[in-house]
Amino acid sequence: MGDLGLIINLNLLRATLRMSTPIALAAMGLVITEQAAITNIGIEGIMLIGAFVAVAVSYFTGSWVLGILSSVAAGVVVALFMAVIHLKFKADVFVAGIAINLFAIEFTRFLLRNIFNTAGSFYDPNIVPIPSITIPIIDKIPVLGTLLSGFKLTDYLGIILVFVTYFILYKTVWGLRIRFVGIHPLSAETGGVHVNIKKYQAMILSGIFGGLAGAHLSLGYTRQFIENMTNGRGFIGVAAMYFGGVTPINTWFASLFFGFTEALGNNLQTFGLPSQFMLMIPYIATVVAITIGMIRKQKREKNNLL
Amino acid sequence: MYVEKGVKKLAPIVEMKGIYKEFPNVVALNHVDFSLEKGEIHALIGENGAGKSTLMKILYGIYDQDEGTVKINGEEKNISDAREAMRLGIGMVHQEFMLAETMTVLENIILGFEPNKHKLLDYDKAYSEVMDYSEKYGFEIRPNSKVINISVGEAQRVEILKALYRGAEVLILDEPTAVLTPQETEELFKIIRSLKENGKTIIFISHKLDEVLEIADRITVMRKGNKVETLSQNDATKEKLAYLMVGREVFLDFEIEENEPGDRILEVKNLNVFGRRKLSNLKDVSFEIKEGEILGVAGIDGNGQTELVEALTGLRKVESGEIKIRGEEITNKSPLEIRHHGVSHIPEDRNKTGLCKELTIQENLIANKLPDDPYSSKIGIINFKRVKNFAEELIDKFDIRPPKTDVKMQNLSGGNAQKVIVAREVAEDAGLIIASQPTRGIDIGSIEFIRSVLLDERKAGKAVLLVSADLEEILSLSDRIIVMYEGEIQGTLDIEEANENNLGLMMTGGNPDFKGGVTA
Repeated sequence: MGDLGLIINLNLLRATLRMSTPIALAAMGLVITEQAAITNIGIEGIMLIGAFVAVAVSYFTGSWVLGILSSVAAGVVVALFMAVIHLKFKADVFVAGIAINLFAIEFTRFLLRNIFNTAGSFYDPNIVPIPSITIPIIDKIPVLGTLLSGFKLTDYLGIILVFVTYFILYKTVWGLRIRFVGIHPLSAETGGVHVNIKKYQAMILSGIFGGLAGAHLSLGYTRQFIENMTNGRGFIGVAAMYFGGVTPINTWFASLFFGFTEALGNNLQTFGLPSQFMLMIPYIATVVAITIGMIRKQKREKNNLL
Repeated sequence: MYVEKGVKKLAPIVEMKGIYKEFPNVVALNHVDFSLEKGEIHALIGENGAGKSTLMKILYGIYDQDEGTVKINGEEKNISDAREAMRLGIGMVHQEFMLAETMTVLENIILGFEPNKHKLLDYDKAYSEVMDYSEKYGFEIRPNSKVINISVGEAQRVEILKALYRGAEVLILDEPTAVLTPQETEELFKIIRSLKENGKTIIFISHKLDEVLEIADRITVMRKGNKVETLSQNDATKEKLAYLMVGREVFLDFEIEENEPGDRILEVKNLNVFGRRKLSNLKDVSFEIKEGEILGVAGIDGNGQTELVEALTGLRKVESGEIKIRGEEITNKSPLEIRHHGVSHIPEDRNKTGLCKELTIQENLIANKLPDDPYSSKIGIINFKRVKNFAEELIDKFDIRPPKTDVKMQNLSGGNAQKVIVAREVAEDAGLIIASQPTRGIDIGSIEFIRSVLLDERKAGKAVLLVSADLEEILSLSDRIIVMYEGEIQGTLDIEEANENNLGLMMTGGNPDFKGGVTA
């Protein structure tokens, strides 16, 4: 019981939220593009490039704000590049995404060596991180304080953006049109909606989300750049997006679930269980989650018979 | 003519002059004139490929004409796309509905013209606006249902309302009755008349002459890219229109010889199959077909007919129940094994599942033969000499044009492509022929030909399962008819007791008194 208390405690819940932020941010970008019928697996590479740009700009300018803004700008550039390849030159978006992901790993490694003369990772006291937010009053309340206060600004922003995404998709004219573009492009086209313009806009949004996720990873979640530091979080975002049925709120819950498995893995590691095995947990959870999702879908279809 | 009499009053709401349009190797429209008076119902008739759809797509901005002018209310316009057409008050209801199934009726209607406050959707306003239209024109719709849960007739009303919501003054209806039961067609005609009373102008594309004569004020006949004639309803008769459409007399009424059915070939018992949609799940379907018998399967598309054919041919898993061919169980066998039991299959969608457009006529004709002798060696090398002979024989027998074995299928017209499939499947010499929508979307000549082939097979003692959405086809070929509704057999009728009315009723779930037993 004592051991279990050490594993399942308030800090685990705190860690869950922290771990889920980059996944949720990426997943929101993915929800928007998926609603417009583009599966943007390039989000992984967008995040990685964003993470590097955020660290570099923060280091040189001493401003985490500029770090985030540049990371978002970089995300938009990469997303637009993918959009042009996919929408204008008709390349398969999966192929474009894989290319971007491979490019991002090598490109950031290259820049790491050429700009900072280092390999593996880059840490420096001059990197200004994203600040933590202490919520007055709540901070002093025992349990709530630990659960709600003292997270990074981008952790809070991530949660707010989940609801913003929901609002945009389901309450605005733009959201309605995006959904039609994804489900039935011809009807959108005959309704006077410019399908491709909408798709470009969705890709730009996913670039913004990917950039934010990357900046959070290198300036909020940590304070350094590590080669390939996204480590599949973009792909887990894809899983979260599907597991959440491509809707923002459910996708957020899925992100929290994946964050929880990561946090749990980290906690168990401190108990001397083999670390490689514990690090596998989020990925195993991803496979299990997708399997459950598929089984549920089949069951639903079977029930239709009655 | 009518136009000359009405002149000096108002310019026609639409006037198309000298429209010429060429597609690769085909002149689709050869200097066609078409004029539309405000407030009329104008039928546009012709066979498939006559150019009526192309003409309307030019009016709706989907195609650009190579030559000719389009005037709207007397002003020459260049209609570059559908948006522009809509701005000019032209709306079109396509044969394939432009509706997103997982969205609500309301969302589909307002798309592109959403009532909003600062870009936020105003669903309340949208709802009341849509209900206003529905009351004004006497439509029955349920704005908050998802499209996937509404009937075909309702989906069509939604499409019409959508066009009106977008400001259509001229409404193009592309074969609107093709998917409707006779009762639903009557309902549609009421709506069309109410639109006319409200000053709207209707273009009604069809090839069903009775309907055209019932609803249209004027009728324009097209044939092979040319306009043949525009006549007023009073001057038109069914025979005259048919003659103008085809250019010769047509005999679609077949003399069906009396035929004593022989042994039982197909027996289906309590078949349960999961469908694409809830409404198309098969529930306890049972029937049988004997030698020398054509069993027609009537029903509105999507009521389980597709699933039935797929289950019989091994393309869809059977959950429970039995399918037997001459007493041998074939349930859940592979398509190849089922073919070996003597079942041939004319699929409903010739382009998706019936043939390979990239390959040649002869390759498509032997698609179900390989890897059998004598067309290939033991290790699978094709003997093209034999293939060619075989293909030439079939091309000749089925009058396939062009009569060349090595022409790619994509160069064939719909009718000839369909004949290739029919030729291939009939040449199997199988005991059971499953023919699904065998004449959908093809010219009258090919329809005549294919129907007579099916009758010949019946005469030769084959069993035929004929699935068709075309009631006329069902009624003119079948010995018995089963009607499918929501995945069940709604009833079985002998040909003597069946007519469009009672079939139409059963297709929408009604139970006419003279309904036969549920099992055949």
